[in-house]
Amino acid sequence: MSVVTTVAARWRVQAHLDFMWMTKDLRFFLINVVGDVILNLAGVTAVFLLAERFDGIGLWSRDQVVFMLGYAALVRGFLDVGFGYNVLHISRRIGRGQLDHLLVQPQPLWMGLLTEGFMPFSGCWSLLTGAGISAWAVVQLGAGLPVQWWLLFGANLLASCSVALAFSFLWGALAFWAPVAAEEISSRAVGFLYQLKAFPLDGLSAVVLTGMLTVLPVGFVAWYPSRQLLGIAAPHLWHTPLAALLLALVAGIVFKKGMEHYAQTGSQRYIAWGHRG
Amino acid sequence: MHRPDRSATSPGDIAVELREVDKTFYQRQRSERFRDVLTNLFRPTIREIRALRGVNLAIRRGEIVAYAGPNGAGKSTTVKLLSSVLAPTAGTVRCLGMDPMTERVPYVRRIGVVFGQRTELWWDQPVAASFEWKRVVWEIPRPRYDGMLAFVKDLLGIGEFFHTLARQLSLGQKMRADIALMLLHEPEILFLDEPTIGLDVLAKRNILDFINTLNRERGVTVMLTSHDMDELEQLAGRIVLIDRGRIAYDGDFVELRRRFGDRRHLTIETGTADPPTLAGVRFSGSDGNRHRYTFDAARTPITTLLQQASSQTAIHDVETHRSRIDDVIADIYQDWNAEHG
Repeated sequence: MSVVTTVAARWRVQAHLDFMWMTKDLRFFLINVVGDVILNLAGVTAVFLLAERFDGIGLWSRDQVVFMLGYAALVRGFLDVGFGYNVLHISRRIGRGQLDHLLVQPQPLWMGLLTEGFMPFSGCWSLLTGAGISAWAVVQLGAGLPVQWWLLFGANLLASCSVALAFSFLWGALAFWAPVAAEEISSRAVGFLYQLKAFPLDGLSAVVLTGMLTVLPVGFVAWYPSRQLLGIAAPHLWHTPLAALLLALVAGIVFKKGMEHYAQTGSQRYIAWGHRG
Repeated sequence: MHRPDRSATSPGDIAVELREVDKTFYQRQRSERFRDVLTNLFRPTIREIRALRGVNLAIRRGEIVAYAGPNGAGKSTTVKLLSSVLAPTAGTVRCLGMDPMTERVPYVRRIGVVFGQRTELWWDQPVAASFEWKRVVWEIPRPRYDGMLAFVKDLLGIGEFFHTLARQLSLGQKMRADIALMLLHEPEILFLDEPTIGLDVLAKRNILDFINTLNRERGVTVMLTSHDMDELEQLAGRIVLIDRGRIAYDGDFVELRRRFGDRRHLTIETGTADPPTLAGVRFSGSDGNRHRYTFDAARTPITTLLQQASSQTAIHDVETHRSRIDDVIADIYQDWNAEHG
């Protein structure tokens, strides 16, 4: 079986599990859907209202701001769909001693991490919200966008998701060395990105901006690629993929070191909830 | 029914081999005194814990081996070393001819692991969903899966709760489902870490009977840890006792009793409330005219004790029985603790 068909088969079974979980109860289903949509809209409302009130923010027109908000929601949506069950919040799994579950499965660790958190039904509401906002913005912007633009849009979106995921894994790897103290560090790191992802960062000092594109790469989650895609800045559309690649490389090296450490120490604690719960 | 191809190795082969295996952990010690705060932060005291020390162990294919020892002796560490979860600090771990760490993926395809206090079931899903998930992730061909599913359903009786959510199962049902799940890919060797923990007597018996059947009918090698020695004695032909990271005994239960004392209980009923005074025994107490003693049958023959008793008073009735293996092991642990202070 090729890697693609293997991944597809695992995604299919995870999708089935997710669908059955999502539809176990009508009230549960409705609360889940409504809650997620409200949460996602609330996450972008503040910036949207500012853009609406002032007819844009700085260099950004109102519709461009909405595009960025949609882009940010899409990033969150893809992460919710692809990396549920605490794969995105990897420090929880490490800190709670739950990596052992993956280690006794006959598949490479990356395959388990790539497929086990696939939740296309319960996690899709951010994605749909983001798609809706983005579609509205694209229509408002009114440009007949060429296929090449859509390809770059897709590549940048993938890169932005990778930046957020790599950032979570980079910080989350700390849990290998301090499982209890760092158990929630991935959720803090991701939370930080989610909080700031919807703000245009133009006008910040060079030092702060550099920090927001390196140490705390929130700029690559939506702001930087959006301004490139919308032509607000010079179109260096390979910057975000490059940043994703570098960050993924660093995160991969640190995570591998963490796994080597884990093989020596193992986990001294095990918490059942949170992984299969 | 399909059986895995084991032609690469003959039945007499060694399935598990640990050679001079050491496993050391480091544990931070912390003083509770306020003045030690800075020391705790910057120069903490690190305690070295040698979980395993020079362990040599070989298990042949088809054996059932009980791996026992007091809490903290190194049992779970050994199971983790054999499950690709931990690497040894020193020494060699080989299982089914493979290195569990460097050949993890093909290796775990051939083994089954159950950690008694964990579950591989998807918690918020019916048991059936976890089984389907396992079929896909382990890439078990459908006919083989169906056959094995029928086998485990039949022998473990999981059909009655197959469509129940895992979180709604009782402890015994959960363990049966976990063991069934573990067996779907027909592992050649099972590592069971406390598989009967928390189960009632009937559930324990069902699990142990099943393991026995599996070993007898399918030749599956089993290594299990437990604190329940009486049941281990019924199941396993061989017991490995580990104490403070070292193997303190490796052999059968008969030899274990012989080596560590064949302790027995004796109850004598006489016509009086005064117990006879017997040499070489420990008096345990009296209930009216029934007097209880404990003795080592290897040192003091029972005929000698009865002669002593009958010379002092009229004997109305006599009962004797061996100590439960639990008591024997408890005595051994107690002796080890005394030796090590």
